[in-house]
Amino acid sequence: MKKFVNDPRQFVPEMLEGIYLASDGRLKYEPKYNLIYRADMPQANKVSIIQGSGSGHEPAHTMIVGKGMLDAACPGDVFAGPPVEFVYETTKLLNSPKGVLHLVNNYTGDRLAFEQGREMCEADGIKVETLLVNDDVAVKDSTWTVGRRGVAGNFFVIKAVGAASEKGASLEELVRIGNDVIANVRTLGIALSSCTPPVKGSPLFEIADDEMEVGIGIHGEPGRQRTKLVSATEIVDIFLNAVVPDLPFKSGDEVALMINGLGGTTIGELYLLYGIAHKKLAAQGIKVFRSYVNEYCTSLEMAGASLTLLKVNEEIKGLLNEPAEVSIRVF
Amino acid sequence: MAASAIDDVDLVLRTMAKTIVDNAVYFAELDSVVGDGDFGYSLRNGFEVVVSDYDTFDRSSVGAVLKKVGFVLSGKVGGVSGPIWGTAFLRASQAAGDKTELTGADVIAILRAAVAGIMHRGGASLGEKTLLDALVPAIDTLEAELARPEAVQDHGSAALQEAADVAVRAAEGTKPMLAMRGRAAYTGERSIGSVDAGATAVGVILQSISAAWREKYE
Repeated sequence: MKKFVNDPRQFVPEMLEGIYLASDGRLKYEPKYNLIYRADMPQANKVSIIQGSGSGHEPAHTMIVGKGMLDAACPGDVFAGPPVEFVYETTKLLNSPKGVLHLVNNYTGDRLAFEQGREMCEADGIKVETLLVNDDVAVKDSTWTVGRRGVAGNFFVIKAVGAASEKGASLEELVRIGNDVIANVRTLGIALSSCTPPVKGSPLFEIADDEMEVGIGIHGEPGRQRTKLVSATEIVDIFLNAVVPDLPFKSGDEVALMINGLGGTTIGELYLLYGIAHKKLAAQGIKVFRSYVNEYCTSLEMAGASLTLLKVNEEIKGLLNEPAEVSIRVF
Repeated sequence: MAASAIDDVDLVLRTMAKTIVDNAVYFAELDSVVGDGDFGYSLRNGFEVVVSDYDTFDRSSVGAVLKKVGFVLSGKVGGVSGPIWGTAFLRASQAAGDKTELTGADVIAILRAAVAGIMHRGGASLGEKTLLDALVPAIDTLEAELARPEAVQDHGSAALQEAADVAVRAAEGTKPMLAMRGRAAYTGERSIGSVDAGATAVGVILQSISAAWREKYE
């Protein structure tokens, strides 16, 4: 393992302390619960929005706490959802008379922690609602799995409900808006390399130099298919052939198009993929309303990318255009 | 089996906690084959507190100490393991109540309550490539073996060893299964051919407990 790390088990707390100190007082940090939250929250006239999830997906979710985005994030260790206690204590601390919204990526561990945490909060009289994000088309939904995973499309859910909550939307209204985004967002990820959780110290899986993993999960869970690496244009075809027919996205639709880096791919490669995808969508009559090219939801240092499409209507467009302030990447 | 006192529960819980801490890396390796490799490390976050703080736990009854372990796991363990193992211990605690002595039948009832808690929280049934596939056959074996008259003479040692052996074989038996729960389920048919990490952990833990038990009672 070759990383900037002291004691690997202190990786997450030391990272969170860095986020806190770099925020110039805009964020607060509660080390007991891996909790990063807005210094100006909770507020009586705004629903508090919380995400848990595992660490290792930065900037999701601790680095996107800020005005118009998340109000708090309480991640677990790298790739492990938070303990129930983190969810419970975070929700209590952020409790607002307008209620608390839990955003949960649809993974078993995250779901279990937030279900149990919500039950404990409701027993204390706190009003809680939950949004389950499940945009990954690589997973076939069925009666025996918990369903599709929540991956990079999570960003759009956070952006939409974050913007709406700043304008005073009620908890019920945020649930409606969030579910509308979830119903219209689809993602596929492709990995070119593995990644190494600091505590594990070795790669999660082996992959040859000439191979790629199609349908990778954001925790390095193997995808559905291991194939030979192909050209960027062919990779965009794989992305679009999986994502477009899934909703389906049709000619005349307006979309937000996200090319998300998984942590170890250059931004240049991401823009290269974006250009090809933009043109191919245009050829299908699908118009890009707004582009998102960067790292939004990563798997540590994994090389790879995911493509997300969100079909937008006037309401969602308005929310995506609202300003948002997070304490990283301010120029 | 003869009546068992709190110090037997201490032996079982301490052995279990130490085994999980000692095997954290091994369990995580197993989990990374089809899962995401957090299983062993997540469990360690809770059980290392059980190891270090055990002497401070309320051990006035079997239910009290099991409840304390359940709270520690819910508080410290992330991922799927915290809610699953935490619920198992809390349900076991309810079944044990304020007992300070346990019969063989009590032990089985406590274990069955833990299994019901795991099924409730995780929504899993047998044959879905989870820890239940080792735990349930081991409990079935323990129940059958404890019913034999010989079990009284050796304080259940042979019965426990047989249950531990069944758990190890059953864990091996998860290899051809298709994962239907947790993150391993996302890999679909690629989960076939590797053992389930949770089931394997149950086998390893029961072997350690059995060894410690025999050392005490044989």
